[in-house]
Amino acid sequence: MSLLSILIFLPLFAGLIIVVLPSSVREGYKYIALAAVIVQVLISAYIYLHFNGEVFTGIADQNKYQLVERLPWISLNLGAMGKLQIDYFLGLDGLSMPFMLLTSVVMLVALLASWEIKINLKGYFALFLLLDTAILGVFSALDFFLFYIFYELMLMPLYFLIGIWGGVRREYAAIKFFLYTLFGSVFMLLVIIGLYFSVTDPATGYHTFNMLSMMDAKNYVEGSIFSALAHNELFGVSARLLGFIVLFIAFAIKVPIVPLHTWLPDAHVEAPTPVSIILAGILLKVGGYGILRVCVSIFPEAAIQSAWWLGLIGIVSIIYGALNALAQTDLKRLVAYSSISHMGFVLLGIASITPEGISGAMMQMISHGFLSSMLFFLVGIIYTRVHDREIPHFRGLALIMPKFSAFIMIAFFASLGLPGFSAFIAEAFSLIGAFNSESINGLLPRWMAVCGTLGILLSACYFLWTLQRMFFGETRLFGGEKWKIQLTDVNAREVTALCILTAFALVLGIMPSLAFDKMNASVLELIRLVNLK
Amino acid sequence: MPLLTFFINVFIPGRFTRSGFFAIASIAISLLCSLLVFIAMWNEPFIHVQTNWFTIGSWSLDVGILLNNLSVLMLPLVSGIALLVHIYSTKYMQGDPYLHRYWAYLGLFCFSMLGLVIADNLLLIYMCWELVGFSSYLLIGFWFTRNVAVQANKKAFIMNRLGDIGFLTGIMIMFSQFQTLDIISLFGEKGLVSHAIVSEGIWISGMHHMPAGWLTFAGLAFFLGAVAKSAQFPLHTWLPDAMEGPTSVSSLIHAATMVAAGVFLLARIYPLFNDTVLVLIAATGAFTAFMAGTIALTQNDIKRILAFSTISQLGFMILAMGVGASASSLFHLGTHAFFKCLLFLGAGAIIHEMVHLKEKTGLEYDPQDIRNMGGLRKYMPVTFITMAIGSLALIAIPLTSGYLSKDAILIESFEWAEGKGGWYRLVPYSAMITSWLTAFYISRLIFKVFFGEFRLKDTVGLHHVHEAAPAMKYVLVVLSLFCLFPVFSLNPLLFEDAWVIQGFPQADSMTRINAFHTVVPAAVNLISVFLIYLCFSWYGSNKPAPDFSKTGLFKFSQHQWFFDKAYNTVFVAGVLGFSRFLYWFDLVIVDGIVNLFGAIGRGFARISDWFDRNIIDGLVNLIGYLAGKLGKLIRNFQTGRLQQYLVTMLLIILTLFIYKYYTAAI
Amino acid sequence: MIPLAHFMLISAALFCIGLYAVLSKRNAIMMLIGIEFMLNAAILNFVAFGKYDKLHMGGQLFALFAIVLAAAAVAVSLAIILNVYTFYKNIDPTVIDQLRD
Repeated sequence: MSLLSILIFLPLFAGLIIVVLPSSVREGYKYIALAAVIVQVLISAYIYLHFNGEVFTGIADQNKYQLVERLPWISLNLGAMGKLQIDYFLGLDGLSMPFMLLTSVVMLVALLASWEIKINLKGYFALFLLLDTAILGVFSALDFFLFYIFYELMLMPLYFLIGIWGGVRREYAAIKFFLYTLFGSVFMLLVIIGLYFSVTDPATGYHTFNMLSMMDAKNYVEGSIFSALAHNELFGVSARLLGFIVLFIAFAIKVPIVPLHTWLPDAHVEAPTPVSIILAGILLKVGGYGILRVCVSIFPEAAIQSAWWLGLIGIVSIIYGALNALAQTDLKRLVAYSSISHMGFVLLGIASITPEGISGAMMQMISHGFLSSMLFFLVGIIYTRVHDREIPHFRGLALIMPKFSAFIMIAFFASLGLPGFSAFIAEAFSLIGAFNSESINGLLPRWMAVCGTLGILLSACYFLWTLQRMFFGETRLFGGEKWKIQLTDVNAREVTALCILTAFALVLGIMPSLAFDKMNASVLELIRLVNLK
Repeated sequence: MPLLTFFINVFIPGRFTRSGFFAIASIAISLLCSLLVFIAMWNEPFIHVQTNWFTIGSWSLDVGILLNNLSVLMLPLVSGIALLVHIYSTKYMQGDPYLHRYWAYLGLFCFSMLGLVIADNLLLIYMCWELVGFSSYLLIGFWFTRNVAVQANKKAFIMNRLGDIGFLTGIMIMFSQFQTLDIISLFGEKGLVSHAIVSEGIWISGMHHMPAGWLTFAGLAFFLGAVAKSAQFPLHTWLPDAMEGPTSVSSLIHAATMVAAGVFLLARIYPLFNDTVLVLIAATGAFTAFMAGTIALTQNDIKRILAFSTISQLGFMILAMGVGASASSLFHLGTHAFFKCLLFLGAGAIIHEMVHLKEKTGLEYDPQDIRNMGGLRKYMPVTFITMAIGSLALIAIPLTSGYLSKDAILIESFEWAEGKGGWYRLVPYSAMITSWLTAFYISRLIFKVFFGEFRLKDTVGLHHVHEAAPAMKYVLVVLSLFCLFPVFSLNPLLFEDAWVIQGFPQADSMTRINAFHTVVPAAVNLISVFLIYLCFSWYGSNKPAPDFSKTGLFKFSQHQWFFDKAYNTVFVAGVLGFSRFLYWFDLVIVDGIVNLFGAIGRGFARISDWFDRNIIDGLVNLIGYLAGKLGKLIRNFQTGRLQQYLVTMLLIILTLFIYKYYTAAI
Repeated sequence: MIPLAHFMLISAALFCIGLYAVLSKRNAIMMLIGIEFMLNAAILNFVAFGKYDKLHMGGQLFALFAIVLAAAAVAVSLAIILNVYTFYKNIDPTVIDQLRD
């Protein structure tokens, strides 16, 4: 049992304890969950500190992963068809390690936000911890089958978390979210199976689900469907390109991209605050991580072929999301659309396949993980106080909630890319990478990066407009005096959570090397792998 | 190492500055260090200290500080003015409930401004650049309960953001072309930019090349950044609105330092600009100067007049950059910083008094409207004298610092135009007209405020008005000293002797070879003096001044050339409308398609449900139904009556028997 | 010699009478008597067909065996009827219908 497995299954274990405990200790559930998550944060911090970015470059070489754990899990002898080989295969490299830390921290914050949950505590916390396990699993799984299991395992608790503890239209949102994601992942399963029959393990000669084997062209069976040499065609499209597109769509739904984004505003708005935090803070990153780990690594030449389209989608997402955010009157929807806009930078950075671009995209994902969590947390604070989020219903909140306003200003300005916060570095380098792409590999035209800068301008527009409308001016509230009493300033628990997030955003903004150093070698390795083809 | 102590001190203001004294102390230390650095470094080879910040790919970003003449000149300038404004603010902002916040914001501003000045890396400059914008945002919106103020700060930030986009684009181009953002290696004497060549429409630097259009584009992109920060046309509208902040802030940020950052940036990256861009820069500067000058003629808000005057003067600086007179431009930057700061602080002192008056008497009037003032000369003599000196410097009367710097710009622009001929001559002539406009509007301000009768004397007792508090008074005096010529040059008439000019390399030797050097200053000054007199006769006495307010030009000017309105209707409404449309699109079309799929899915589901229920389930139910019926039928036999059972048995046996019998027979 | 057909006729008549009694009588005793009638019809057939098995006397032997069995069965039946009577105070088979579902 390596540290990684402990990290992954610790929440599950805590969840089981909660399920088993009688409901008379209802108040204790959250403390059990809190303890589990804190231990989890400590473990991931330990992993972070012991992670050597230069050594653990990962990507296609098992020996270069940290904390590798490989146990035969399902090993069926199918006679003439060979042997079904599914490993319990975990490991961390520079691409996944930052997300482990991100997940742990965001989970801690989400848990602190869960104090507001009042009904059915047992189910809530058990599902919450199950979700936690699934996410950590996704980020560390290196066997595609295991990856898929964890990937699907994420859906189920989320569906219930949204569907039971959500807002007014929760059923609609939950179903929409569930179907959207399932739509993508079902096709993903097809590709996984196709890959399975195309790839053999060099060591045993059997077919395998091992992702690392899939990254090496030598391991493909001659003439198999996804073999790079065979040039198979399906429906008139190269099979590998089709595989890439299918996988991309599966992950892009999670990212999300325009036009596959409409689940996001609904799901975010209807979900309870902690689930919004998890959705925005971690779930979206699963998409970006998947694109890097799976799409780009396994189908590199297809990634290069479709880079132009990826970049275009990125640009469209940036501008479209920002303009939509500008039109919102619901604060939470605004934040949701701003997420779409910010994740566009991720796609743009990935599409560039330059070190700057991919590092920028990684940084953007991490930074957005902290900042969007913070934004949703803040929105949640208002909502729990007065059960209203309409921007025109509030005015001059800075007078009655000074501390809260300070935090929201930090969050807004950090999100719109104020230097000193992580988002600035991230956005700047995603754009620089995208711009540089034409000089280095000629994938993206320069105008894309120039258009991308518009997103920065628009984000300033919608955030500042919101600030002006909601927080400045004389206090005038839709709910009158009653609201004024209900709108108390943030309490100690909320301050703790917000401070954690602010600190991370700030530290990463001032010392981005803390993150860049860890993932740099992996990013370079990934680019080397892509350029091999 | 004075650098180290200096750097530490720069950071202090940003932190926990709850009391003004601490802020003043830290900024004073900054000033002291700046002065030390200045003395040590002026006209010395530059110092460039670097440290690794982070690494991406195989490229690592080094940041550090770069001290050359340009930055060491800016250092004491910024910190000196900042110190004076800090001292001034102790009195001016007294009693504000959020005072500690004010000091913190000021500290953040000073930090980022100083950082901007000494940064050696384009990315670092960009960071400080945005931080400057951010702290100005905070300070403009300091009175956040005032709706106008928060709208103004939003506008300022967004307009600056527009410039930032340009800056960022420039950075991207630089990085892509040269793989470094270091200023020395880019723009130094043997820098990459000067080595890059343009041949056959391709811009080549070492291994990298891109179409030559990108060189122009890079210049324009950086210039866009400067345009936004230095409030040039067409992005100038934020500056007048920014006057909603406290006056001390206006003087520090929007007159002396922040707006100069744009000019500073242009100076830093000067080698990048090609001819096309330079002409555009010059034209923009000239046009802005002229436009702002005309607008300033008709404004009535004292701060707005000064704001437009600032825009106009910044136009001069940009113009100077465009014509290649970067040294004069920076010189003007320095002199302008002092006299404009002085004017603003003087205006602040007046507004302070007017506000007090308003509070005492409880009357409703605008304390910033010069139509409400007049005759203040007798009550605020120090303010009057210092402001008069500042105005003279602004007009560029001999013996003031402004004379030196402005004449340098004018003369050099004339020389430049002479070299080009044609339409280029418009640039210096418009600049000259602008300097006459300057003379007119600033004297109008002075005469209206200080001469004549106090216009509210019927309702307000004048005895309430008195001189500004000592803290403010002495700051004004110090600043006015800096407006005089000896600080910058021992020769009051020849700008070439100024040490600031001599501190920078000049393209051509500064000899008084042609007539411009004598004709231009003379022409400017004679007409200026005439205009001042005209002003005095119109506004200085109690006689009613000629009324132009009905003419079209007056209205055009008073409404600031309708820029705000145009922007509001075209851009703001346009973008908002577009975004609403997109939201509608998102909600109706994109989501509609998704929901349509959902609906189609549900339709299919309903059909299959019907099929399932009626056909398949029907069959199943039929079987069940039949079984039930049969069961009922058979149930009827189970009467419990022995004899009936027997009959049944008999019948069955008989049936079997008959069956057997006949089948056997067959 | 009486022909076999006569035996058969009498036996059939006896059987039918017995059957009728079993199916129609509203008294358990009468049903029992009907059963005896049918048994005796069978025994009569045994005896009548016994003439074709003179060597082993199988018909006579089976007739004797059946008689003994019938006697035992009647004893048991009567006991059951007695118990039924003590339980239901009635021996009408149409009333006693607890076997129904």
